[in-house]
Amino acid sequence: MFKKMLIANRGTIAIRIIRACRELGISTVAVYSTADKNALHVRMADESVCIGPPAAEDSYMNIPAILSAATTFGADAVHPGYGFLSENGDFAEACQRSGLNFVGPRARHIRLMGDKPRARRIMKRAGVPVLPGSEGTGVTELREAQADAKRLGYPVLIKAAAGGGGKGMRVARDAAELTRLFPQAQGESELSFNSRKMYLEKYLKHARHVEFQILADLHRNAIHLGERDCSIQRRHQKLIEESPCPTLTARLREKMGKAAVRAAEVVGYSNVGTVEFLLAGSGVFYFIEMNTRIQVEHGVTEMVTGVDLVKESIRMAMGERLGLKQRQVKFDGASMEFRIYAEDPERHIPSPGVVTNHHPPGGLGVRVETALYDGYRVPVQYDPLIAKLIVHAETRVEVIARAKAALREYVIDGIKTNIPLHLKILHDPDFNRGEFSTDFLTRYEPAQPDAAHHAPVSKAS
Amino acid sequence: MEVRELKTLLVLMRDYGLVELEIEDKKGKVRLVRAGGRASVDATEAGSQAHLAVRAASPIKMAMRHVEATEEEGSKAAGRIELAPNQKLIESPMVGTFYRAGSPDAAPFVEEGSSVRKGQPLCIIEAMKMMNEIESPAAGRVIRIIAENGNPIEYGQPLMIIEVT
Repeated sequence: MFKKMLIANRGTIAIRIIRACRELGISTVAVYSTADKNALHVRMADESVCIGPPAAEDSYMNIPAILSAATTFGADAVHPGYGFLSENGDFAEACQRSGLNFVGPRARHIRLMGDKPRARRIMKRAGVPVLPGSEGTGVTELREAQADAKRLGYPVLIKAAAGGGGKGMRVARDAAELTRLFPQAQGESELSFNSRKMYLEKYLKHARHVEFQILADLHRNAIHLGERDCSIQRRHQKLIEESPCPTLTARLREKMGKAAVRAAEVVGYSNVGTVEFLLAGSGVFYFIEMNTRIQVEHGVTEMVTGVDLVKESIRMAMGERLGLKQRQVKFDGASMEFRIYAEDPERHIPSPGVVTNHHPPGGLGVRVETALYDGYRVPVQYDPLIAKLIVHAETRVEVIARAKAALREYVIDGIKTNIPLHLKILHDPDFNRGEFSTDFLTRYEPAQPDAAHHAPVSKAS
Repeated sequence: MEVRELKTLLVLMRDYGLVELEIEDKKGKVRLVRAGGRASVDATEAGSQAHLAVRAASPIKMAMRHVEATEEEGSKAAGRIELAPNQKLIESPMVGTFYRAGSPDAAPFVEEGSSVRKGQPLCIIEAMKMMNEIESPAAGRVIRIIAENGNPIEYGQPLMIIEVT
């Protein structure tokens, strides 16, 4: 059993991990930047350590500072959460080298899945269907991209080989767009991931984003915990996630679930992970990538399966065996998560500031994951995700009714949030019918060009 | 750059709590510094008609820096130490363990009252088995040693006070 966990993160996920550790009897060390001195995770943890100035690269992504905090304050395990260092193979390896247990997969699995063209190759070989796209190790030159696009046919999606979170990602509808957007995407990739390597994928216009939650122990047992439909996204940033996917048949679920488990098994994956697929209208599905960490939207899976994924991630890291077999996984009702961002709902621009009054909703099947409190100042430096409202009920129709009631009850004064946008979506007839694809939110894009001036701020997860 | 544009930037800086903002594009560079309600502007522009287009499509380099050690920021331990104008607070530049000497049986680098040269080692912060010497930023005298030998230290935690001579 771990004795002391250092949580290398902030915000809602840090709170979530502290709670799981408390239940398991593990004491907690929070780390924070000077901008987060008054953050809730700092107050909630048993101990807290300031590790650096506000810039993430100097604090939450500063590997030596985090390792020094862990060893100086006597932690024996490190939970990376999501974002920041969670998918950094070097960090996982450095933890192990310093005698710290990293709560997540092995460093080589993080690196393997982080190299998207390589992951595609391995999946293809294992018989997991992948989207038609660039072969080999990816492309760095425009003319290579042009050749690939010609072979695939437009539209194509330009992606960063080391990518994630919508960064370095562009849709090109024709050769002229490719010529214009490829260098842009590549520049973004260089800035964000320090890599010029890109790859192309055939762009499916009317596809759903359906991902499967994987749980695997260190003894080569792996199961899936069903799917999450994350098609409601804005510029590749998820906004609403739900389980089950409203259009998935039991047969297709079984087929996709098997493919997801195979994806994990073929590399000998351990801990929690998510295999992402695109699902075309015809019921054909394609592997896109695997996320080697806990996801922002893990809560909806917890609601429908009753499995505490954060506790499981810790148990798996301690070497415990899976307590569940695939046939023992039962799905109960439906669940949706609404990501609440500190942003102007009309113009989609961040709205940091002081939260003067915070009143979260309650009641049966209503769960709020947040690090907000009255008087808290939402800092400008980090992801604007401030709360997650997770709703659970017997049916999707009831979930929608419950979510509307909960969102109307939710009071966050002092800053602007995207709650009005969520309510609009919940009243949309197509959303209510469950008929949507990843381009759904374009209908709610602001008409004025302001929002286009802001690059996506939040992390992918 | 036009006054109207500068005003817009200053309002944005105030709203986002920015203290310093530097924007550079093909046509020139402007640096705005806001301190305690005062604002100073220094700008170098490539051409007399230079103006700033605030849109993401153009390559604008933005440097944002926040003041350290205001009431909002700084580590929990900092903030309540009063300094005379000629005194300097030595804060830990990293998280680690504080040592007053180079090895367990060596004499401490400095004591309260010791005179120090600029660049003279004051103490060690051990981080990941690396011994990091913290040097005096100025010549003067150590008037207070705040941290305890062998204790864990956070980023920004006060270690000593130096009186500059």
